Amino acid sequence: MNCDEVRLLLGAEPGFSGTGVEEHLQSCAACRRFGEEMRTLDANIRRALGDAPPAVPQPRRAAPTWRVWALAASVALVTFGALGAWLLRPTDTLARDVVAHVMAEPESWLTAQQVTAQDIGEALHGAGVELNITSEKVTYAQSCWFRGHYVPHLVLQTASGPATVLILRHEPAGSSRAFREEGMSGMIVPARDGSFAVLTRGGGDVNLIAQAVQQDVRWLPDAH
Amino acid sequence: MRNSPPESPVSSVSERLSAADAQAPLPELFESLRPDLVRFAHWLARDRAIAEDIVQESLLRAWRSRDALKEPGAARAWLLTIVRREHARLYERKRLELVSLEDALETQPGPKLAEPDGELFNLRHAIMRLPIEYREPLLLQVIGGFSTEEIARELALSNTAVLTRLFRARNKLRVICGMAPAADVAGSEAGP
Repeated sequence: MNCDEVRLLLGAEPGFSGTGVEEHLQSCAACRRFGEEMRTLDANIRRALGDAPPAVPQPRRAAPTWRVWALAASVALVTFGALGAWLLRPTDTLARDVVAHVMAEPESWLTAQQVTAQDIGEALHGAGVELNITSEKVTYAQSCWFRGHYVPHLVLQTASGPATVLILRHEPAGSSRAFREEGMSGMIVPARDGSFAVLTRGGGDVNLIAQAVQQDVRWLPDAH
Repeated sequence: MRNSPPESPVSSVSERLSAADAQAPLPELFESLRPDLVRFAHWLARDRAIAEDIVQESLLRAWRSRDALKEPGAARAWLLTIVRREHARLYERKRLELVSLEDALETQPGPKLAEPDGELFNLRHAIMRLPIEYREPLLLQVIGGFSTEEIARELALSNTAVLTRLFRARNKLRVICGMAPAADVAGSEAGP
């Protein structure tokens, strides 16, 4: 092997060792030194990558004058908007996470075909609950990874449109909390074990749906 | 019900978990690997929130296609592969707004003020500045523990192309550690 071949290998894989490389290093001090440098560098790279990368703040750039005026003119509007948003804000991070999860699965709203009892059974697997849904059509049933656990994620077709239900056995809630975010109305409802979340888009009555779900969910005795 | 599984990210990567980890139930096993996945995604995406989203989506995909995981011992490499593909998919799908890293880093305090180990600080920023075609194989190699052949398979490149990218990635980082840049002994990249 020549110097270029050896340096390519050692530059790409500083820990590389093979007969051809070793033989070359025996007789080439420059490549030996290069190999040592690359091993030192590699140790530093491994240290550098051992942690999360440094925070990268968003850059600030000077805005054109008209933008400054536009910004000033919109301050009042933003203030009132922020006040409205605050009044309808998600009550806690759980609500935000529920909304984020549902938004990440937009296909869940689009399915029209009813799922089978077996599908629902698989979605409920390990969740410690049974469902006795008689009045609504279930069009989506998944076991989803959510805040460190797999939870049932269902979409029910109600009279006022699709409603998402997440059964959150690992998320206790002290009392029912309503929220609105991203065009969705939702509610976190305490349950015997943990809680469940209900979300609708449009005009669905979250309260009515939550009451129906409360009646339909049966928490299994061995769920603890 | 499960969604139809995505393409099976088959991995031939050898055992990289302890026997205890590998024997843990799948949800616990996935959860135990989450910090590594987030770190990998964070270095790829250079944004913590996006990295969290990528990992969340990747774990969901992994769970849906969990039958493709034959050996729990290969879970880490398998999940890293899914994370990498999810990262690529995210950028294809959303065309995320890119922030000029040079501009962004200009707003950072000086390395001596921000971190006592200035060289390491600079090295981490230099890795962040690496173009994705160099950063990605380096991360797969160092964080993922992938061999050159495995990286080549994952990135659909030839072994020579991977060696070239790894060489050039490290060569760009040499100067940060006070070494003179090496002559570029890598030729042009060969195709897959």
